[in-house]
Parts: sequence; C-alpha cells; structure tokens
Amino acid sequence: MINQDNRRQINVKGIRDGLLITLGNAAYDDMLQDLTAELTQKQAFLQGSRVVIEAGKRPFSATQLARVQEQFTRHDLELWAVLAEREETRAAARKLGLATRLPGSQTDLDGNALPASSHKSAADAATAVPVHGGLLLKETVRSGRSIYHEGHIVIIGDVNPGAEIVAGGDVVVWGRLRGLVHAWALGDETAVICALALNPTHLRIADQIAIPPDDNNGNPAPEQAMIREGQIIALPWQPRN
Amino acid sequence: MSGKVITITSGKGGVGKTTLTANIAAALARSGKKVVAIDADIGLRNLDVVMGLENRIVYDLVDIIEGRCRLRQAMIKDKRQPELYLIPAAQTRDKMAVSPTDMILVCDQLRQEMDYVVIDSPAGIERGFRNAIAPADQVLIVTNPEVSAVRDADRIIGLIEAEEKGPGKLIVNRLKPEMVARGDMISVEDILDILAIELVGVIPEDESILISTNQGLPVVMTGANGSSAGQAFTNVARRIEGQKIPFLDLTAKGSLLDRMRGWVNGR
Repeated sequence: MINQDNRRQINVKGIRDGLLITLGNAAYDDMLQDLTAELTQKQAFLQGSRVVIEAGKRPFSATQLARVQEQFTRHDLELWAVLAEREETRAAARKLGLATRLPGSQTDLDGNALPASSHKSAADAATAVPVHGGLLLKETVRSGRSIYHEGHIVIIGDVNPGAEIVAGGDVVVWGRLRGLVHAWALGDETAVICALALNPTHLRIADQIAIPPDDNNGNPAPEQAMIREGQIIALPWQPRN
Repeated sequence: MSGKVITITSGKGGVGKTTLTANIAAALARSGKKVVAIDADIGLRNLDVVMGLENRIVYDLVDIIEGRCRLRQAMIKDKRQPELYLIPAAQTRDKMAVSPTDMILVCDQLRQEMDYVVIDSPAGIERGFRNAIAPADQVLIVTNPEVSAVRDADRIIGLIEAEEKGPGKLIVNRLKPEMVARGDMISVEDILDILAIELVGVIPEDESILISTNQGLPVVMTGANGSSAGQAFTNVARRIEGQKIPFLDLTAKGSLLDRMRGWVNGR
C-alpha cells in the first residue's frame, strides 16, 4: 500500500527539454527502488530521452545523486539537469557536471521572475514550460502570485483579484480575468489582452492604464482589450460570419 | 495507528477558526474518535477559553517543544467527552518559540495514539501560519461570505498549494441565507466560483454559537440539535470522516418556525 503510494510519487512528464521526472518525498532507498521499477517498466517508451530531475526540497548528496544518475544511464537515459530548492542539492549536481536551471526559463516555483545571475532553479518547469516564447499555465492564478514572462502568456484558468500577470507580449486568459494584467510591458502598443470574462482590477498595455467601468456585472462575455487612438478599449468578441 | 492531522486556517482573523476547531474536534470525539486539538496561536491563545478548559492549563505547547514536560502532561483531557484533549498555546511567548519542524515532530508523536489532530491556526500568512500547516495532512480553509475574507482565503489557498498541502477544502462560516436571498450577501456559489476548491461545510449565522463560545461549551457538545450551526458542525466532522452528507437546506426563507408553518400549510 505504502509502496504503491510512493510509486505514484515518481512522476514522469514530457517537457520541451526532454523528460521531467519528479521524485516525490519517499525515503531515499525506497525512492531509488521505485524509480528503478518505473524506469524498467517504461524502458521501451522512455529510452534515449534526456532527463531533468525535479528534486524539490529533497536533499541529495553527490553520492546519492550519482547513484540516481547511474540508474538513468543503465536504462539508456541521459540525466542532464537537476532542479532543486536546496543549495546543497544544486551544489551536488554541479559537482557531477549537471545543469541546475533550464535554459530560457524565466520563472521560479512561484512564477516570479528570476534575477539573471541567480542560481535559483527553474523548478516551475513542471507547470510553466516556455514554448516558442510563450508561457502556458493551466491553473487558477490566485491572489499574491506574480507571473512575469518576456513572451506571451496564456492562462487556462482564472486570474483572481490580487494576482499579477506581466507579459512582454500578449495575454490570453481562457477563464475569468479579475486580477491585474500588464501586457507588452516592454512598450509596444500593439499588444492585446483577451479573456472569456474581462473583469480586471485594472489593465495595462504598454504605458497605458485602464480601470474597467463598475457596471461590468452583467453576463460575462469574451472580450479583447487593445489600444486604439492612445486609449485602452475593450471590445466584445464577435464571431465572424 | 496513524492519525490524521487537520489544520484549520483562514488568512483573515475573526472568521471563526477557533470556534470551528473546538466544534469539529468535539464532533469527531462525539463520534467515538480519539481527538486532540492544538492551539497554534502562540501568544494569543483562546481555544482553551472556547473549549472551557482555561483553568486547567498547567503545561502548554511550548513547554513540550522546549522539553519542560512530556507530551501527555500538556494534554488536557476534556471530561465531557470520552477521548478529547487540548494542547494549549503558550501565552507569554510568541510565534518564534515554535518552528514548523517542531510542529511536525509533535504531530508525528500524536498521530501514533490519536485518530485526529485538529490544529487551530493563527490569522496571517507568517510564521504562525507556517507552523500550523507544516504537519497537516488536510487543510480546511474558513471564510465568511464577505469579499475581504474571500480574498484572503484565495491567497491562503495559493500558499497551501505552494507548500504542496493543497488544494485544501473550504468551509463557509456565518452565512445568512435570508441576506443571500435578498442579494445583500455573496452566496456560496459565488465564493466557490472564485476559490474553485471542494466545499466541506456551510455554517449558518447562529446566535447560540456566541452564547456557547462565551460559556466555553462547544455547541455540538450540548447536543442541541435545534441549533442549525451545531448540526452544520457535526456534518463537517462527518464529511471529514468520509461520509457523504448532503448540505443543509439553508435556502428556505425565514425562520425555522416559518418553515414549519409553511410545511403545515402544505406550502
């Protein structure tokens, strides 16, 4: 029973950079055993892939990590990066010549922008994989979260009041937009913000700011906000016949 | 035996965390479970007052953690129930006297002999909150039907998800059905629309709660099933135990008496 639970904690997922494997928080020996079982079971399907480990808060010594790496090598997989919240784990990974960040990733676990020089891991890779310059999030963005991304941002889910989305490009919310969105923060005025229900605390496009009218409580309808003649306007989405 | 740790939290203060903790713990104990309630609000303790156990405090949570007493010595037995205990907070210290690791260690010991450990979290999102959720297997988020409380609940849910304790379950406390019917209070549906998590309880506003809280007698212990809130607390406890209990019909307008009258008249 316990063993089954642990097995489920080993989670394999495809990302742009190969496979992302989450190790869960079972004891080291159990985890290694479960990982081996998982890799053996799925060997035909996985082999030849490049692997990123999501270690989370789990501490790893260089020796422990080397044993994990050995398992991957034995199953014809190439471990190339370790994402970890603990500096000791990242140090161990660097010792083995492994990367501790995904290239091109701009956000950390909370979706916050990473300082360029930071060693902080891009542990958000599981939920926020940058694909072709865009960032796709499939979740409710709750109060207190900030999502910064240099490209476009697409959110499948709601953006709640108190959340903040800042994009270098356009922002599409497949859900209700009730937080703050700043699209094309770098200054181009052609950006758009779309939402199934556009009810933000306020919107910014380039250097324009707009506060929606209060009478926005009717039936929500998809709308698109953009700059026209120096002002942000919101237009209802109309199917073209 | 491995008990379940349930933390009750809200972000905003004054929404009814302590009252809910006392009543849910008492309701679980009434159904024959071994339950310990922990007051994690170090420096502002009041779960002991609500449970009516204030004058029996000798040792507290910080005494356990700092090794001045054994776990059992700080567990105050509530004599009105077969197996209900309270571990009170220290009043002369602050949140920094406890760390999340301390809470995990204490709860791991309690799990071995208890069915449920119910933790009353302090308001806020700082150390006290982090202490309270660190050992949790299940987090219950309490909110009131007010915009400010719902905003804070949303923030808390985000933090709980980030701690991988998520998604948490929701209790809406102090609902006034007649105000909702008039459109003067946000409805449970509106709250769920924003928070998008599972609902495990809707507690109606009820004066008998204020009375029982002041008397230090959790309303579920009085067995007063005339109290709609008391029934709602019991239902939350049953849902925690995995039973499927339908939600009370609070949409019926007017008082209980009106409802009965309506029934007699065949509506």
